[in-house]
Amino acid sequence: MAAVSQSGGSKVASPRKSLFDDRRILVLFLLAPVLCFFIVFNTIPTLWLLGLSFHNFSLTSGMPPEFIGFRNFVQIFYNKNNIWADLSRTFIFVGSAVSIQTALGILLGFLFWGSKNMPGRRIALTMLFTPMVLTPVATGTFWRFIYDPTFGVLNAILRGLGADHPIDFLGDPTFAYWAVVAVDCWMWTPFMTLMTLAALGSVPKAELEAAEVDRLPWWQRVRLVIWHHGKFIIMLGVLLRTIDSFKTLDLIIPMTKGGPGQQTRLVAVELNKQAFESFNMGFSSAYAVLLLLISIAMTSVFIYVLNLRRRKDSAAGGET
Amino acid sequence: MNAESLKRKGYYAVLWLTSLLFFAPVAWIVMSSFKTRNDILAVPPKLIFSPTFDNYLDLLDRNTSFVLQFANSVVLSLSAVVIAVVVSFLAAFCFSRFKPKGTNFLMFILLSIRMLPAPAVILPVYLMYANFGWKDSHIALILFYAMFSIPFSVWILKGFLDGVSVRFDETGLVNGGSWLHVIFRVVLPQLKPGLIAAFIFNMIFVWNEFLFNFIVGGVSTQNIPYALAVGTYSDGGLNWTFIATLTTIYIIPPIVFIYLFQKYLLAGMTFGTVRGEV
Amino acid sequence: MTQSNHPEGRNRFSLPRRKLLKGAGAMTAAAALNMPIASRVFGKEPHPLAGKKIDMSILGIAGWLPSSLGVKMSPLFNEYVKEKYGYEVEFAFAEAPFSDLFQKAATSLATRSQEYNIIISDSQWIGALAEPGWILQLNDIIAQNQSLQLDWYSQTVVDTYMIYPDGTKNIWGLPQEGDTIALFLRKDMLQDPAEAAAFEKKYGAKLPQTFEDFEDLTMAEFEKVADHFNRPDDQIWGTAMQYSRVYDFVTCYLYPFMFSQGGEVWDAATAQVEGILNSDINAKAMEQMKSWLKYQPPGAVNYGIAEQIDVFTQGKVFSCFQWAAVGLAMITEEMKDKVMVVAPPKHGTGADARRVYTMGGQPWVINAYNDQEKMRVAIDFMNWWYQPETTLEFARRGGNPCDKPTLTRSDFDSINPWNQAYKFMLEPGRSRDFWHHPKYAEMLAVQQEAFTSYMTGQTSDPMQALTYAACQQQQILVDAGSATIDPTRACITANL
Repeated sequence: MAAVSQSGGSKVASPRKSLFDDRRILVLFLLAPVLCFFIVFNTIPTLWLLGLSFHNFSLTSGMPPEFIGFRNFVQIFYNKNNIWADLSRTFIFVGSAVSIQTALGILLGFLFWGSKNMPGRRIALTMLFTPMVLTPVATGTFWRFIYDPTFGVLNAILRGLGADHPIDFLGDPTFAYWAVVAVDCWMWTPFMTLMTLAALGSVPKAELEAAEVDRLPWWQRVRLVIWHHGKFIIMLGVLLRTIDSFKTLDLIIPMTKGGPGQQTRLVAVELNKQAFESFNMGFSSAYAVLLLLISIAMTSVFIYVLNLRRRKDSAAGGET
Repeated sequence: MNAESLKRKGYYAVLWLTSLLFFAPVAWIVMSSFKTRNDILAVPPKLIFSPTFDNYLDLLDRNTSFVLQFANSVVLSLSAVVIAVVVSFLAAFCFSRFKPKGTNFLMFILLSIRMLPAPAVILPVYLMYANFGWKDSHIALILFYAMFSIPFSVWILKGFLDGVSVRFDETGLVNGGSWLHVIFRVVLPQLKPGLIAAFIFNMIFVWNEFLFNFIVGGVSTQNIPYALAVGTYSDGGLNWTFIATLTTIYIIPPIVFIYLFQKYLLAGMTFGTVRGEV
Repeated sequence: MTQSNHPEGRNRFSLPRRKLLKGAGAMTAAAALNMPIASRVFGKEPHPLAGKKIDMSILGIAGWLPSSLGVKMSPLFNEYVKEKYGYEVEFAFAEAPFSDLFQKAATSLATRSQEYNIIISDSQWIGALAEPGWILQLNDIIAQNQSLQLDWYSQTVVDTYMIYPDGTKNIWGLPQEGDTIALFLRKDMLQDPAEAAAFEKKYGAKLPQTFEDFEDLTMAEFEKVADHFNRPDDQIWGTAMQYSRVYDFVTCYLYPFMFSQGGEVWDAATAQVEGILNSDINAKAMEQMKSWLKYQPPGAVNYGIAEQIDVFTQGKVFSCFQWAAVGLAMITEEMKDKVMVVAPPKHGTGADARRVYTMGGQPWVINAYNDQEKMRVAIDFMNWWYQPETTLEFARRGGNPCDKPTLTRSDFDSINPWNQAYKFMLEPGRSRDFWHHPKYAEMLAVQQEAFTSYMTGQTSDPMQALTYAACQQQQILVDAGSATIDPTRACITANL
């Protein structure tokens, strides 16, 4: 494909010769802005982070950074705080939140897909998508209010249903974690619905009609036609949700601040505490580097799965 | 009325109820913005109340920086996202058409900034900005937000461009157009859904961004999420009327966007594999 | 980087800029500006800034009434300097909530920015702000400005808002708002004769009625009162305290249980925590505080200042342990005649019963990176703030001044309903502040987790929570070079 366009480019005797006829200059021109951005706002900070992670540097001590080798990393795993607990909490959070969102999102996506003639569908979908555009700062605060045992509407409903004692959703260690997961699901299930609708939209009509003509049972239709075309987008949705829920912070801060005790202390919450409450810049950098490595590992797995599908596809379909 | 249409009606009712259920907490916030403080804190919570517009008048009256904050929200998010989409489009075109060496690696590494929890990104960027004296500067904030919006935009647009046939490029070139002509006049117009999707998705992020604005921004760059965080408490108490009112105002633009561009949003997310209709 | 780290602030003389600052304190500033001036105190010569217009910016605590009073009263300062010195000031204000203010201040000051010229800091941050040289040491300035040489109400004021490190004479802040914990009560319920009779019948004791009654009250006695008014079926509870994980909330409310019964949180001289914080007295104190939850509304484990105000003003609780600073928010218009404010009860029994509560409140601190003009205005501002008229106006609008002349005015107690309790608690020995150490934030974060973990029931043994906090803090202080003894082996297994 590239070869075709290349030859096309050189064959043309353009009357208006321009600098960009040289392929290398064109590529450079197209990539320069993104590379500039990338170097200034991504590479430099990342290197900075990496460098700091080997230093003892507290913003509030007034001392210049002091090189301490791997001591920050050692401290993360030894006695400074309990990173394993934070990590396992985070993974359970990611696992449960993302799977609930995916399951529910796909279900809703299918339901809405089959309702093209529903009156007010556009409004209903807009309402469904609203949670994910709310400002998280305010959302967390308001959910705390909804969950409140004294003034909260949720406990009022429970009372109406005959509950004797109000439930302190965010203060009781039995509920707090799942109360936070629930809010995350409320906020992001619509996103998975959106991805599902997009995925379903990418299924060729002709194939669906053919499946109908063949009277394939519904699960066969889903497996052979819909999943085949839609899985890339759905997997991408799952990838984005996984990355994002791994770094959940702004919902938790107003709701529980990592409490009760350490119940909802996810890695991002702990990192925020170390960096911007304690101002341990060196230690937090090391923590951040670790998180980056974990994220890269997680994402690589996803991308590998995604690419696998694409490679298979192109191997089967060939180039046009 | 036959059974089939009754079933249909039930089906629609379920969908509507689900939408309403997801919308209910938002509706609660919107309702609260028309309540007095005492009505908000009433036990049991009030569904029926006499609405008041005082909160809105109060907000404009008391929060003297509202106009500045709202303007900042608009300026920061619009300019950042527009820059990001333009830059991403150029890069995505290059990745899609010329596939320079390391395309896959670059695409992947671009995502890395999205993988880090916000404090991990902010920490080095803050130190960098502090050293360069870029704190409390609109341009510096816009550029950072743009950087944050680029990876996702590149991904969406690259997927989309892959779906736009190279025949268009060839025809354009054969007809004597320059590459610039092909890129901006031939290919760009076909990308509308992708551009809109990239625009909206990144807009949602920048529109609601708080932490970076709080730490790297300053008095002159404060946006509405900043105002929400700072105004949560007033005179020692939780300022429920303020939070409800400001949230309600602030959520209107994104809702309008979603309503108007819903079609593109769904199509744009298909990453170029769009073939059917949504 | 040209900064050094002497806590004594000797570094002030190593920096050219700082030299200017020193001068900015008084007449030398005028010399630096090449303006002939004999003495600004007497105002005979023109002020060096006369005719100018200066932009100033103050960083304060969002939603904190006394902070916003500083804002609201600033037009008075504008008038004052315009008339007296002939220059104009335009104030801008930035705010951040309690938990984020230090973050906001530190991230700005670390860039040597004069984005915020004057800052309302929380008392415990003085160390963290002073240590890197971000704020101005005020000794010279106080020496040169008579109106800053005030007679403070008690040594507690000086220790809490001005001095760092503890026990030295280095002054870094000036009290903006004094604050202590007070007990807010529903007077209408308390003074109902039927309630008094019922109480006497049930407990065989008299229901305390006056400020003086409460002066002698112990927690054990108050528990009966709280129990008496605790009526969950009517949606009214006995009392409310703070148990929240946010900022220093649970800490400030647990410390009175510890301090009053002889518990300590560290040895300030050696920075030793382990073995001191995790003492039996403190473990007992934690149990006691947790047991008070039964007289409080469900959800009290998440109560902070704001939540308490909500339940109190909505009539859900009979009483509330609350900062005197938010008195204005606690006593709403409709509650005006129904609330009385008394000193919080003593802990312990008989002659041993004592009360040592936590200090609240905030000092003013001045950005060390201010240029000469801003520095001059900042110092003028301080001089104005402590004018007797200003201080009185501050009190009248709901603030709590700390100087003896104002507090000992005959009408002071009647200015605000909480003034008597505030003044009572400000007496020596009744309230105290905790660590001003630069590692304050880090130590606090660990401790808040540990305390709330116990209060919410996630950790069942108070000693376990205390040991965890003590070990972590010990390590933090060792890392910072303040403490010399490493955490003991017991710390290896300490966890929540």
